[in-house]
Amino acid sequence: MSRSSRIAHDVVASLIADRTRSFLMMSGVAVGVAVLSAVIVIGQGTREQILGLVKKHALDMLMVRAGGEVQVFAPRADRGLNVLFEADARAIQSSLPGVRLVSVVQNQRGINVVAGDRSVVTRAFGVEMDWLEIRHRGMAEGEFISESDMAGMSRVVMLGAGIARRLFPSGGAIGSTVRVGNDPYTVKGVLIEMGSGAGGDDWDDRIVVPFTTSSRRLFNRPSLEQIVIRVADARRMHQTADRVRELLRVRHNVSPGEPDDFFVREPEDVEGVALETSSTLRAMLIAVALVAIVAGGIVIMNLMLLAISQRAHEIGVRRAVGARCADITRQFLLESLFVSVAGGVLGVVTGVAAAAGLASAGMAAARITWMPFVIALLACAAIGLLFGIHPARQAALVDPAATLRQRKL
Amino acid sequence: MPGTTSANVIQASGLTKSYRKGALETPVLQGVSLTIARAEFVAIRGTSGCGKSTLLNILGLLDQPDSGGYLLDGVDFSQADDDARSSARNQRIGFVFQQFHLLDRASAVQNVMLPLLYAEDEPADGAARAARALLAVGLSHRMHHLPGELSGGEQQRVAIARSLINDPALILADEPTGNLDERNGAEVMEIFKRLHLAGRTIVLVTHDRALAGQADRVLLMQDGRVAVAGAA
Repeated sequence: MSRSSRIAHDVVASLIADRTRSFLMMSGVAVGVAVLSAVIVIGQGTREQILGLVKKHALDMLMVRAGGEVQVFAPRADRGLNVLFEADARAIQSSLPGVRLVSVVQNQRGINVVAGDRSVVTRAFGVEMDWLEIRHRGMAEGEFISESDMAGMSRVVMLGAGIARRLFPSGGAIGSTVRVGNDPYTVKGVLIEMGSGAGGDDWDDRIVVPFTTSSRRLFNRPSLEQIVIRVADARRMHQTADRVRELLRVRHNVSPGEPDDFFVREPEDVEGVALETSSTLRAMLIAVALVAIVAGGIVIMNLMLLAISQRAHEIGVRRAVGARCADITRQFLLESLFVSVAGGVLGVVTGVAAAAGLASAGMAAARITWMPFVIALLACAAIGLLFGIHPARQAALVDPAATLRQRKL
Repeated sequence: MPGTTSANVIQASGLTKSYRKGALETPVLQGVSLTIARAEFVAIRGTSGCGKSTLLNILGLLDQPDSGGYLLDGVDFSQADDDARSSARNQRIGFVFQQFHLLDRASAVQNVMLPLLYAEDEPADGAARAARALLAVGLSHRMHHLPGELSGGEQQRVAIARSLINDPALILADEPTGNLDERNGAEVMEIFKRLHLAGRTIVLVTHDRALAGQADRVLLMQDGRVAVAGAA
């Protein structure tokens, strides 16, 4: 064993031998770290909960609809407005920051879909590949639109879960041929069941085809009903919506003072605010916890400084048998480091356990990750070294001859 | 024994040392010169406050003189840094103090092994050496006792075993029997005599004339100077 590891070994042994003092020293740091870990674990849990809500309710989606605000409320009729085009979507995608994904959307009611002797009349959507992700949908089976579908205006169709059930009650939809309008289409996929949206709109009563297919073949028109946008940061939703509005007003030559010929729908902002609030609160709690950890470090430092006078004899003895000043410094620095890190481990375990307890009591959301462990241990190591330096230097300055003399009886 | 090159283990010349308390400067050593040959048993005798413990601390490299030259085992330590001095304390010198100076929370064997912690190279047979050292002072049955569980005489014998663990040329003993009763004191002196016969250099500091008389040579200290030097 090298000299350093022998000293480290000795330090651990003496910390264990003097448990009470070691425990008192680590308690300050442990409390701080416990708070920090609980805050991180609960904060992470809350964040995930909110992000889950954002995802479930598509709270990170902006929808641009053709027609001004007053015309929006007509869910049962196609409006046939000629104002929104693919070029608008491409402009939004290429020139606005904060926009992650964009898809054009065409839709039309009253589309006849026939499979064998079964038929339905439903609403058809022509969309781009990113639509699925923007709307947080998924495929129950099969696949969604591909690049080659888009390029080739393929006659492929994705069925809503309700349509699939009605046309293929015993399954086997994928790969089958159905008639959509007047043309045969291959069923490429079935969307997962979504249930009804607000206003009783049945989201499973749909079919989806590539936008190129709908604009050139099925609907045979270039105008769009919607452009859907996934923003990069749900908390900047409002800002991004304003930018979209500005851009479209310029593109559509809307004079100042005139109303928009489109409508940008933003999701309810409540959860965005919640996300904001939770991160502010979390930042504050983390700051408080860090202050507590630093205070714990100061406790360690003060206890060690106090201990130096009590332990002057020990230092003198060690120096007499050959300990260098550097060995004494190392010993005290390691003590402070070990105590602080042990306090950190104790704190993390306590904090995480407390957070998990609160979570299981339904009082908080908790998500246990490695993060609090890493942060706390790094913080504690830093604190231990930082606040150990001064006592360690003081310990090394103890005059061995003087302390050994003082103990004369 | 490491570094045994010089016939003289200790060669000190003109050592001075004063202690300062505020504006008051008290001279303790006022030009001490002495030479101690290898394998000699020397007693330094003097009344309390005459500077004999300070001299021992300087000879043991625990303290530094204000001026004067000091060669230990032929190596000049007057300008040596902390690392060199510490290493010499560890390898060339064994201390035995009046108050034993054991670590309270360490067992007898752990106390004996303490110097090994600071040795440059850890010996592979450290535990065996400690056991041998404790056997040599008649304490092999008390190895795992804490100092508080040992009598004064036993504690001092642990301290002697500790001073021997790195096999030093020089043993420095500062009133080693001062806290012991007569019987235990005599036992400790017997151990020193045995060590001397085995070839070790022993410097004993005491105020006790009878004790000093057991050494080969007695140096009498008075007012910070070696007043008389001669055979006992």
